[in-house]
Amino acid sequence: MSTIAETAPRGQTRRRMRVDGWRWAGRIFLVFMLLYTALPMIWMLITSIKSGFAAMQFPPQWWPDEPTLASYQKLLDPQNSVGQDFLRFFWNSLYVSTVTTILSVIVAVPAAYAFSRFTFPGRNFLFFAVLLRNMFPAVIFLVPLFILMRALGLVNTHGSLILTYLTFGLPLAIWLLKGFYDNIPVQLEQAARIDGATRFQAFILIVMPLSTPGIIATAIYSFIGAWNEYIYAYTFLSKNEQLTLPVGIQRFFSENTTDFPGLMAASFMMSVPVVVLFLVLQRYFVRALTEGAVKH
Amino acid sequence: MAHVVLKDLVKTYGGFKAVNNVSLTVNDGEFVALVGPSGCGKTTTLNLVAGLIPITSGDIVIGDRVVNDLDPKDRDIAMVFQNYALYPQKSVYKNLAFPLQMRKLPRDEIDKKVREAARVLDMTQLLERKPRELSGGQQQRVALGRALVRDPAVFLMDEPLSNLDAKLRVQMRSEIKRFHQDLKATIIYVTHDQLEAVTMADRMAVMNGGYLQQYDSPAQVFAHPVNMFVASFIGSPAMSLIPLEASTANGNTVLTSAEGWSLELSQRNARKVQKATTRKVVLGARHSTIKLHKSAVPGAIPAKAYTVEPTGDVTFVQAFLSGAIVNISVSPNIAVKPDEQIWLEFDQERMHLFDGETEMALEAS
Repeated sequence: MSTIAETAPRGQTRRRMRVDGWRWAGRIFLVFMLLYTALPMIWMLITSIKSGFAAMQFPPQWWPDEPTLASYQKLLDPQNSVGQDFLRFFWNSLYVSTVTTILSVIVAVPAAYAFSRFTFPGRNFLFFAVLLRNMFPAVIFLVPLFILMRALGLVNTHGSLILTYLTFGLPLAIWLLKGFYDNIPVQLEQAARIDGATRFQAFILIVMPLSTPGIIATAIYSFIGAWNEYIYAYTFLSKNEQLTLPVGIQRFFSENTTDFPGLMAASFMMSVPVVVLFLVLQRYFVRALTEGAVKH
Repeated sequence: MAHVVLKDLVKTYGGFKAVNNVSLTVNDGEFVALVGPSGCGKTTTLNLVAGLIPITSGDIVIGDRVVNDLDPKDRDIAMVFQNYALYPQKSVYKNLAFPLQMRKLPRDEIDKKVREAARVLDMTQLLERKPRELSGGQQQRVALGRALVRDPAVFLMDEPLSNLDAKLRVQMRSEIKRFHQDLKATIIYVTHDQLEAVTMADRMAVMNGGYLQQYDSPAQVFAHPVNMFVASFIGSPAMSLIPLEASTANGNTVLTSAEGWSLELSQRNARKVQKATTRKVVLGARHSTIKLHKSAVPGAIPAKAYTVEPTGDVTFVQAFLSGAIVNISVSPNIAVKPDEQIWLEFDQERMHLFDGETEMALEAS
């Protein structure tokens, strides 16, 4: 008896120490990852409040001697040409991303629902075709899509970007949403239809509210994709007044003298909508991506 | 309330016939159970009646209307699902109110009906809860409430009790039965549990392989199964089915086992056997109709006890005869040990005889 009583706690401590070792290794790793992702952003933020001279100094000023919001003022001031350009790019990006997002949801929701609920000829083929697109890098389609857009007369219009972003964003949006609909028991709709709803009403009144997290996740995904896209916007648009933010910022600052605080301030403001959107809706996003991982 | 008629109902998926020429009538106020093993077509039949899947051919009549092409919402039915299908985002109150809202009833009338249903089902204090905050039994009751709040012509129930634990299932079984008696409701109830069907239904429709096997009162189905499938499916433990060979010598009809023993049949049973298309005859006997002796008795067949299962008020003994499992129930004060030599005496009045080829019951007429 006494030997058991003695050995048991010792075994426990040894096990606890081993677990702690792993846990610390994990923590150190996480801290490293956090620094790795956060430091560039912090540096971006710090540089954006420096003066142009301070930004070029070496060794660098870790914290600016004279923090200034001048860059932000310049970018947001519609009176000067820099501010006019920046605000126009911002508006263009917002417009393209929002329209892409709305159209993406409008198309993805019924498409995903159909893939999930109906059997129709070519269903599997279509679904895999949708996924197949995702296996190729986007650049492959650059030239063919450019030729197509030219044939359609869409070059130098925002429509070309919206169409392109939809072709790239929709497959994953549909796939994501389909998983969501698969998880909603079909009996709920059947119950609603027996309770007096038409098939469409059952979808709108019962299924749609339940799939809100999926729809929100899809929307965020489409928005971020469109907001950040560079190469297609760079190829399809050449008129200055049409540019979206990623291309606009790059072009604008390579034409002028390299104004690093201005560039960083613009980059920071470009990340704001995405970060805000993500923070506000992140619980839906996480729920959508993990939905179906475990059986309820 | 209304009666329901199924006429030559057929449902095929590709080449597969899920429901095969099923015809049956459910009278007004009758509780009918569709019972059978999984994949027998009972749930498909129910979904056809509900209108959730289109029929291939045949007719469905609810009340005086042919409803073949009507939407589920226009059939005046209510359905209780196996997983309850409560709307997860709605409170109990809103779950109950939903069918009434869809029918555009005035708000005060909805409120009155919802509260009345909640009172009947004893869940007034649960009205503001969400379905996930309820126990399985409470969810079941809400599902029932959502069906009855609308006062439909027919209630359809798809294995409503199979997600409950054993104790709750027995309790809800009597509640549903009581519900039927009080409302005089027409109910079509799908279950794979023959005990539920036997205990609750006025009539039961036994299905297998998409075919309706037998449609009669539980007592009739139990006492006069039309074929070997029904005989083995209804009753627990299952009826023992022993394959034997019939022969006639000196005017007596005898069933002989490949194991060498034989059983002389009564006059009435002999007449049944003469109707068989072959000499292969299957003897069916329920556990309670076989008498177990611990010593040799004239007419009794020797066997060896295989397993002994005491349940408290009866003890079930299993033995093998002609390669078939034979279940016998004995009083618990008869001590039988596994591998002990026993003698089995069959009750000639209560035994069943089946044609070994067609598997149909042999009747004396």
